[in-house]
Amino acid sequence: MQLSTVQADAIQELGNIGAAHAATTLSQMLGSTIEMRVPEVKVVDLARLGEYMGEESAAMVAFELQGEIPHGGYILFYITRESAIRLTNTMLGQTEMNRPLNEMDESALLEVGNIMVSAFLDATAELLGFVMLPSPPALTIDMAHAAMQSLIAVMNGETNEVLLFSTELVCEEHKIDSDIILMPETNTLQKIVEKLENIMNGN
Amino acid sequence: MIGIGEYRVGSFPMMTIGLGSCIGLTMYDPTHKVGAMVHIMLPESANRTDRPGKYADTAVPLLVNELVAVGCKNRSIIAKMTGGACMFEYFGTNLNIGLRNAEKVRQMLKEYHIHLAAEDVGGKFGRSVTFLPDRDGSVSVRRADGTSSNL
Repeated sequence: MQLSTVQADAIQELGNIGAAHAATTLSQMLGSTIEMRVPEVKVVDLARLGEYMGEESAAMVAFELQGEIPHGGYILFYITRESAIRLTNTMLGQTEMNRPLNEMDESALLEVGNIMVSAFLDATAELLGFVMLPSPPALTIDMAHAAMQSLIAVMNGETNEVLLFSTELVCEEHKIDSDIILMPETNTLQKIVEKLENIMNGN
Repeated sequence: MIGIGEYRVGSFPMMTIGLGSCIGLTMYDPTHKVGAMVHIMLPESANRTDRPGKYADTAVPLLVNELVAVGCKNRSIIAKMTGGACMFEYFGTNLNIGLRNAEKVRQMLKEYHIHLAAEDVGGKFGRSVTFLPDRDGSVSVRRADGTSSNL
């Protein structure tokens, strides 16, 4: 999977727009400012996935990309355990940090993930002119590498690489750190790149 | 550190992290004190020849051949497998690739007359595995909450 500079830039721009909309919704939910870091586009060899996600336990709300391209890949809301606790606490006006993640946290994560990912995909749909619909969310709180690997395993097995597009969204005030990670299937990626090239060529 | 689709053969400590639906398979020969470990992702290679460690149907013969090449006998080899979980239940209902991987590994081991001594497969959680062929071939499995057990 080779991305030209032009293609990588185009995807970065797409992600910028999507993540900015997701950041806005998060900001509204927390009643606080969200900083968006520069989105990263990485093509990662499967054997090297461990360099990006390890054994650390994190909460991941995953959505399959559906719609015009069925089985188009996945998009995830990724947040560490500690940030997840802070997130629920902020939303519910609680302060207790020394506690395990419970059903309230899981509900909050599903809801927040849903809202942010929907905002991301709505914004990108407008730009691209085709729709990526999210499936209902699925949550896991476990080793990041194990979760990602499980999703990659049911994607196109022909390739030995995965494209990870991630944007970090940070709430300094409440010390909440999260990521939106887009993992498009090769066919989705192709369609995205084609559309963006058309747009950039003034079509 | 063994990544997805990779394998190692030798008498040194080996490790792989974050097995979700993947299978971490170890083989150990106590007489030669040599072992092999692989991180398998899919059950069938469908005639693909690159990255044999990635597919159960090519990974098992690969490991067996490597061990036989250094003098091991099939009947002395002890295999153990870990992983094959279904981490996102919602997505996994139809395919359950984790269990399919485990089943394929079992089938291949039987085909090659390799004894499967222990397994820790299934469930909904991730696992990391450490294998010590340099000591006693012990395999320890660690979960996200930090707990670990010997296989």
